[in-house]
Amino acid sequence: MTKNGLANVLSFRQLVITLTLGWLMLMVIAPHALVIMTSFMTPDSEHLAVWPLTLQGYQKVLQPIYFDVFFHSLWLSAIATVVCLIIGYPFAYILAKQPPWARAVMLVLMMVPFWTNSLIRTYAIKLILGKKGVINSVLVGTGIVDQPITMLYTEFAVIVGLVYVLLPFMVLPLMASFEKLSADLTEASKDLGANALQRFVHVVLPLTAPGIIAGCLIVFLPAMGMFYVADLLGGAKNLLLGNVIKNQFLVVRDWPFGSAFSITLIVMMAAMLWLYVIANRFVQRQGGLDDENL
Amino acid sequence: MKNWIRLFATTVLLAPLAAIASGKVVVYNWSEYIPEDTIERFTAETGIEVVYATYESNETMYSKLQLQKNAGYDVVVPSTYYVAKMAKEKMIQPLQKDLLPNLKHLDPALLDKEYDPKNSYSIPYFWGSTGLGVNASEMDIAAIHSWKQLWDPKYKGQLLLMDDVREVFHVALLLNGHSPNTKDPAQIKQAYELLKKLMPNVLVFNSDAPREPYMAGDVNFGMIWNGEVMMAQEEDDTIQYVYPDEGAIFWVDSFAIPAGAANVKEAHAFINFMMKPEIAKSCVEYVGYATPNKTAISMLDQELRDNPVIFPPADIIEKGEFQSDVGEAIEIYNRYWQQLKVGQ
Repeated sequence: MTKNGLANVLSFRQLVITLTLGWLMLMVIAPHALVIMTSFMTPDSEHLAVWPLTLQGYQKVLQPIYFDVFFHSLWLSAIATVVCLIIGYPFAYILAKQPPWARAVMLVLMMVPFWTNSLIRTYAIKLILGKKGVINSVLVGTGIVDQPITMLYTEFAVIVGLVYVLLPFMVLPLMASFEKLSADLTEASKDLGANALQRFVHVVLPLTAPGIIAGCLIVFLPAMGMFYVADLLGGAKNLLLGNVIKNQFLVVRDWPFGSAFSITLIVMMAAMLWLYVIANRFVQRQGGLDDENL
Repeated sequence: MKNWIRLFATTVLLAPLAAIASGKVVVYNWSEYIPEDTIERFTAETGIEVVYATYESNETMYSKLQLQKNAGYDVVVPSTYYVAKMAKEKMIQPLQKDLLPNLKHLDPALLDKEYDPKNSYSIPYFWGSTGLGVNASEMDIAAIHSWKQLWDPKYKGQLLLMDDVREVFHVALLLNGHSPNTKDPAQIKQAYELLKKLMPNVLVFNSDAPREPYMAGDVNFGMIWNGEVMMAQEEDDTIQYVYPDEGAIFWVDSFAIPAGAANVKEAHAFINFMMKPEIAKSCVEYVGYATPNKTAISMLDQELRDNPVIFPPADIIEKGEFQSDVGEAIEIYNRYWQQLKVGQ
C-alpha cells in the first residue's frame, strides 16, 4: 500500500468514527442528558419542569403504589420471558440443525410478520382473542365450551401479546449459540455413556447459556416498557412500567417523576447487563481451557 | 412524453407556491371527529391548505401545546373545562368575531356559558354526553336506568369505563350526592372509595373508540359517549344508549386558536367555514354528535333531528351537568386514579 493510500484509509476511518460519535452524541447522549436533568427538577403544572433541583422525582418512585406496579410489571414480563424461552429454545435448535437454505427460508418466514408495525399486529391479536374472536368461535362452535371465554383484556392477553412481539429476539441469540455448539461434543459425551438428559443438562445447556441469558435480557427489559400492549390487550388496567411513564408525561404532566422513572428503568437495565457480562465470563471459564474440571 | 414531463414539473414546482400564496392552517382535532371530505371542501372554497393532526385526549393536546410554547397549531378543539383552563393560562387567544359571520347560525342556548363568558375564546363545535352503553341483544335494556347498576356484582369483569379520570369520578361523585366538579379532598376520597368497589366489575378502560369493544362483543354494558353509539348503530343497531336517572355527563368541544398560532386569519376562516350550516349538517351526519348550529339542525332529516341519542329532550339536559376545571385538585384525582388502576 502506498503512503497516499494509507492516508486515505486513515481519513476514511476518522470520518467514520467522527460520524458515529457525532450521531451518538446527538441522538443518544444529548436526549439522555436531558432526561437525567429533568429527573432532578421540580414539577410545575404550567412549565412542566422548573428549578430548583430536587430528589422528589426519585422519592416518588419509591412510593408503595409504584412498588405494586413494579412487581406486577416484573411478573408479567418474567412470565412472557419464560414462555418465549420455552417456545424459542427448541425452535432455535431446530433452526440451527437445518441446512443453510432451509434455515434462511425459516428465518425469513419468522421475520416477515415483523415488517408489519407491531401496533397493527397487536390489534390483530384482539380479533383472535375476543369473545367473538377466532379462538372462541372454534371453542363454542365445536361445543367444547358453552359460553365464550374472556381472554381479551386480561393478564393472559398481555402475556400473549408480549410473547408474540418479542419471540424473535429470543430465537436469534439462541440460534447463534446452537450454531456454535459443536456436534463433536455431544457425540463425545454419548460415547462416554451419557444419556439424552445428561447430555442436555451437562453439555448442551451450559454451552447455550450465553444465548439463553442474552435472549432473556432482550425480551425481559423491553417487555416492561410496552405500554401499548398493556393498553390494547390488558384493557389499560394491567399496567406495565411503560404505562406509568407514559401517563406521567401525557396525563399527569409530572415530567420530573416520569424522567426519574425512566432513569430507574435504565439503571436496572444496566445492572442486568452487568450480570450478563459476569455470567458470560463464568460460563466461558467453565467450558474453556482453564476449567479445572476438564 | 416531454409535455407530460413539463406538466409534471410545473405542477410539482408551482404547487407549493400556490399554497404559500393562499396560506395554510394547521388543525389539531380529536380523532374521528370530522367528515372525510370537509377539508377538501374547505381548501377548494378558500384555497387555504390544511395540515391536519389528531389527538385522543385533552391532556395530550394540552401537553403538546405547552411543549411547543402554544405554537405549531392554528386551531385546536379543547373540551369544556379545558377552554377555561387554557384561557386562564393565556394559551389560547381572544377570537375576532368580525371574521366569524357564521356565528349567527349558532343556538344562543349553547353560547355565553360559564366556562367561556361571551365566547371570547371559543366557538362550540359539537356537544354530547356520556351515559350508559348497552347491547340490547344480550341484555334487557328496559331494566337499565341508573349509574348504580354498574356496581351490580353480576357484571363482574364485564364493564367498559372511559379511560378518563374526570368522567369516571363524575359518576361516583354524582352517586354520593356531590358536585362532579368538586375540589374537596374528602369528597374526592369518598368517590374513590366507591369506585374501588366498582373495579372488580371493570374489564376494560377505553377512550379511544369505546364503541369497538361493544361492537366486537367483548363488552355489553358500561359507559359510552352518545356519538359513539350513533356510529356503532350504522353497523350494529343492537348497541343502545341510555341516559341514567341521576343525569348524564355533558360536555362541549370548542374551536379555539392557540396564543402562538402562525396563521390567525386562516384559523378564523376555518372556524367560520365549519359553522356554515351545510358543513355543520354533514358533520352531525358523519360524527353523530349534536351541533350547536340551529340552522343546520333545521336542515337535518326529521329522523335524525328527533333522535334522542343525539338531541336529548330538555329535561335530560336539565338533569345533566357540565364539567368545569378543578384546578390543582386534579392532582388529587390523578393520584386516586392511579391507585384504582393498580388495584389499591
